[in-house]
Order: sequence, then C-alpha cells, then structure tokens
Amino acid sequence: MKELERLLDRITQRVNINLRELEYDVNPLVQKLIPPNQMTKFYAFYGITPHHPLNFQFKNSNLSGSYFLGKCSVNNSLLYKSDIRGDELKQKADVFKYQNFEIPVNEDEAIEIEDSFLIKTLVHNFSHDPETLEKFFIRDTIATHYANIHGSPSDGCFLGPFSTVDLTTIRDCLVGTFSYIQAGEVSHLNIEPGTVWVRSPDVFNFLYRFPLQRLQNYIYFTAGSPPQGIFIDFVEDRKEAFQRVFNVVNLEPSVSIPSSASLDRFAVIKPKTHISENVLVSQRAYLQNAWLGKGANAQEQSYIINSRLEGNDITAHGAKIIEADLGMDVFVGFNCFLRGRPESRLTIGKESIIMPHTIIDIRKPLTIPAGHLVWGLVTDEKDLEKCSLPLKAFSKIDTRFSKGDMIFEGKGAEFVTAFKERIHHILETNGAFFNGHSNKGHAQQNQNISFNTIQPYPKGDREGLYPTIIIRP
Amino acid sequence: MKQYLVKDLMVPISEYATVSVGSMLSEAVIALEKAQEEYNHTHYRHRAVLVLDNAKQVVGKLSQLDFLRSLEPQDEMLERIKDIQKFGFSSKSIALQQERYRQTAPPVKDVFAKAAKLKVEDFMQTPSEGEYVNEETSLDTAVHQLINGHHLSLLVTHKKKIVGVLRMSDVFAATFHVMKEVEATE
Repeated sequence: MKELERLLDRITQRVNINLRELEYDVNPLVQKLIPPNQMTKFYAFYGITPHHPLNFQFKNSNLSGSYFLGKCSVNNSLLYKSDIRGDELKQKADVFKYQNFEIPVNEDEAIEIEDSFLIKTLVHNFSHDPETLEKFFIRDTIATHYANIHGSPSDGCFLGPFSTVDLTTIRDCLVGTFSYIQAGEVSHLNIEPGTVWVRSPDVFNFLYRFPLQRLQNYIYFTAGSPPQGIFIDFVEDRKEAFQRVFNVVNLEPSVSIPSSASLDRFAVIKPKTHISENVLVSQRAYLQNAWLGKGANAQEQSYIINSRLEGNDITAHGAKIIEADLGMDVFVGFNCFLRGRPESRLTIGKESIIMPHTIIDIRKPLTIPAGHLVWGLVTDEKDLEKCSLPLKAFSKIDTRFSKGDMIFEGKGAEFVTAFKERIHHILETNGAFFNGHSNKGHAQQNQNISFNTIQPYPKGDREGLYPTIIIRP
Repeated sequence: MKQYLVKDLMVPISEYATVSVGSMLSEAVIALEKAQEEYNHTHYRHRAVLVLDNAKQVVGKLSQLDFLRSLEPQDEMLERIKDIQKFGFSSKSIALQQERYRQTAPPVKDVFAKAAKLKVEDFMQTPSEGEYVNEETSLDTAVHQLINGHHLSLLVTHKKKIVGVLRMSDVFAATFHVMKEVEATE
C-alpha cells in the first residue's frame, strides 16, 4: 500500500503549493479522512451505452467505488466513491457560443483528472470555459464528501464537504463547507463555509452567507475528524440500502417504470414509489414512498422520501426532499435539504425556485407560495419572510437589494431569466419533454447501460492502485 | 534657487508629537494637540504621533487614519461586511450594508469611551524600509520616495538614529516655492 500513501502525499503537497498564498495547509484535513484500507475494498465500474463515446484511461490511480461514463482520463489520482459522469460533454463539431463568439469544438471533450483526490464527489456537465473547450480538467484538487464539480474546470483547489462549484473555472481557491459558487471564473479566493454566490459579471451578483453557528448543526468540518452534522447522519442512516445495490450483480427493478423513464440500476428504490413517464432517476439516488410525476427527476445523491413531485420538478445533485409536496415545475437546487415532518409537511407552490444549498427544516407546516424564490436557512414562517421573495418582485430589482443575510446587485429580471432558462435546459437535457419520438434526453438515452467492473492490486506495494487501463470501442 | 536637503525641511523629533509604547490612545491625542500648539513654524499641522520604545527609538507611527480605525467596531459581523468586497460588489452596496449594521451598533459615546482606553501599539503602523530617509538626501529623491511608497511622511535618520520627520505638507510647500521661483526668473 506504500504507493497509495505516496500518492496521497504527492497530491496533498501539490494542493498546498497552489494554496500557499492563502496560507492554507490541507494536510491535517485529509490525512485520516479515508483510511487507506477503505480505499482497497471497492471495485470501480464504468458504463457503456450506444449514445456516449467510450474512451477511458486510468493510470497510477485508485478508483475505489467510483463510476465512469463517457470520455475521461484519470492520472496519479485517488477517487473514492465518486461519480465521473461524462454524458453531457461537448462532441466534435459542436459549436460553443460565448459572448459574441461561436467556437467550433475540434474533438470530443474529455474529463481529465490529474493529481487530485476526490471523495464522494460528483463530476458532471461540460467545461464552460471558452479557453478550454475540449478539456474539462481537474488538476491538483482535493474535493471532500459530497462535493459537486459541475461544468467547472478546477486547478489547485480545496473543496469542503457538500460544496459545489458550478459553471465556474476555479484556480487556487479554497471553497468552504456547504458553499456554492457560480461565478464564471475565480482565482485565489478563500470562500468561507456557507457562502452562496451567483454572479454574472456586469449583469447581477447574488450573495448569501449562512449564519455559521446555525449551519454547524447541519454540517461541520474541522481537521482531525470526518465531516459531522445532520447532513452526514442523514446519509449514513441510509448507507446500508446502497450496499445491497452495489453488492448484487443482477438486480431487478422493484417498481415498474414506463418505457420513457430511466431508473438507474445503482439507485435505491423503497416501497410505494411511483415513477411516471419521462422521469430520470440517476445512480446513488434514494427514493422511498416517493411519487414522481411526468418529467420529474432525481439526480445523483438525491433523496426523496415520503414526498410527491407533481411533474417537471428538478431535484438537483445532492438535494434531499423529505415529507414534502411539490407543485409542477419546482426547482430544488444542488445540495438543498428540505425536511418537513409527518405532521408538519412542507408544501412548495408551482414554479418556485429553491436556490442551491438552501436548508428548509420545519417543525410546523409551512407553505411556500407559487412562483417564489427561496434561499438560505428557513425553519419557520419568520425565516421564510427573510429568505424569500416572489419571482415577480425579484424581477423588478433594478440596482441593488438586500434582505436578511442576502445581498443582490444588478438586474433582478436577468437573474430570474437566467435561472428559468437553465431550468428549462435541465428538463430538456433530462428528457422531460420527450413526446414518444423526439426530444430525447437522459431519461430515454440512459436506459440501456452495461456496467463493467475493474479492480485494484489486492496486495503488495501497489495494493489499492489500479493497473494502467485503456478502454476503447 | 535653493537646492533643498531633507534636513532643511524636516520637523525635529523634539518638536514632534511622541508617546511611549503602552500609552492609551487618549494620551496620544493629547500629545498631538500639545505638539500642534507648540509647533507654529508653518500653518501645516502635525497629523501623526510617533511611538517610542524604552530606548526612545521610534517603533511605530499613529496617523489620523489609525485613530479613526480605533473607532471601528472590531467584530465578526463587520469583518463579514468588509469581506463582501472580494465578491465583486460595489462600494455603494458595501456602504449600505455597513449603514444597516450601524443601526444596531452601540451608541457613539460608548464607542469613543472604549476607544480612548485602547493601547497605541494595537493601531500604530510599524515603519517599512521605504519610510526611512537620510537627512542629507536631496529633495528630489525624497519626493520620489514619498510618491513611490504613497507615504504621508518619512522618518529622517542621522547615522542610525531618527532625528526628525519629513512631512509631505512641508515638501509640497518647498516644492511649490521652488516652482514659483523658477516661474519668476523665466
């Protein structure tokens, strides 16, 4: 196992060199985060479909429990139970539009992971950086539990647990626990835990920062121990159900699904779950007594429990919906934690947008009216008043606006439009609008995936490392 | 036309406001007032207090800005507001946040009373290498040093000892004077 340990030291050092300006040492945070013997236990697996390029290259890396789809290479890296989902990468001859440029894509885009350590991290979407169209790179980066790297090339960064970098090229940055960044391009920034930042330069700028003391009940991460808090307890309590789906080779779906819907073989489905047409359920999603209406989706690491989603609802990566009723076209962003109680259900009116990294945790029934934007931490009506605004009112913001811990600058209408367009795009990509012959998306294209497994050296100095593997058609 | 040297324009340290390390800000304010009353060579007033150690060596400088900084509440919330800058918000937005916060802050009287008891060393600036100038240096060189370092004054040395302060106001007055002389002779 010597080589594995040497690899971790090498990655840690490279990240520290990149973060030296911020005077940050990642060593105490990561050294004991995943015991080395855990990294030798699990097989890695990759998907083969007729719809996505097949091109994998793994070299001097550990891939324990990780999943790969599309075109990607992994060099000198440690990937622990991570999902590298290359089903939205750009393809040769695509044209990438950026400002007034129309840039042709010369070859199929690839996810390139080098000298990085990803723990239970999701890598998805495509590089939004016009300077690196064909390479979605992740270099000298450590991403901890349940981080999302979504369309965001990353170089020399540390991502805290449950953090998300979305459509942003990020260099030499520290992204704190449960922070969400969607800002185009950032470098040399120390983003404190609980920061939600959405910026389109010269158009709008949205910033919310969680009250840290309250956030720490949900997620807390410090050197010397793994992440702790309600989020971790919630996930750990349901871990066993996933062990079964990963241990059994041939698993029959426990519910019947329409031919236009897709239920991933590595999702957990508990009784009384209903799946309608054009629904997409991704790997590592967890559904229990969940009613999913037409076109709804449950993305990776999402949990929907005792809840009803009327249709065309998006449950983004890592979002959790418990004891809730969602109207049509509700968007629940990355890593949201929405928890009602059996006697105190959460109701979300149609066409509402729950911003990424929002926590709603109630002990009395709560209704979010239709067409509202919600952010931050909401435990009752009073919080909701401070952390929400009708979308129509938000659209009227012309210069700047501030409410509670949220601050906004720019055009509210542009912000709302950007969100709505993105929601429409997500539904389209996921196949929510499939009509039987056209508008196919992931729900229709991801139905027939074959999975192959690969394994590491079982003993010796190279224990835990996978041999160099190249997989092509 | 006179070729000025630094020593021609400096304020001797004996005429400058000084306090010892360990003094309270209120004592520094009194020292500044006293020095201003006694120093009447020009209408430009002193704008800083020098902080001396036990060996009477200058270890820091307390400017008017440093005094004002002592009145700023030193709490986590204010730090968080200042931090907004790095996210690309305009100074107008930051000022509005500060204004909102100040409405919940303690009364001004209490803030002033608290600040008066704070120690000078917590707010003074330690002089950097570029803030020292030899007394025999020409005015041109000293001007260059002030501009390059964005300094309001320089500490004047004789051998290794600080003997005075070269203030930008005096340099400006002298330079302006030379300029007028040149114009008159042309």
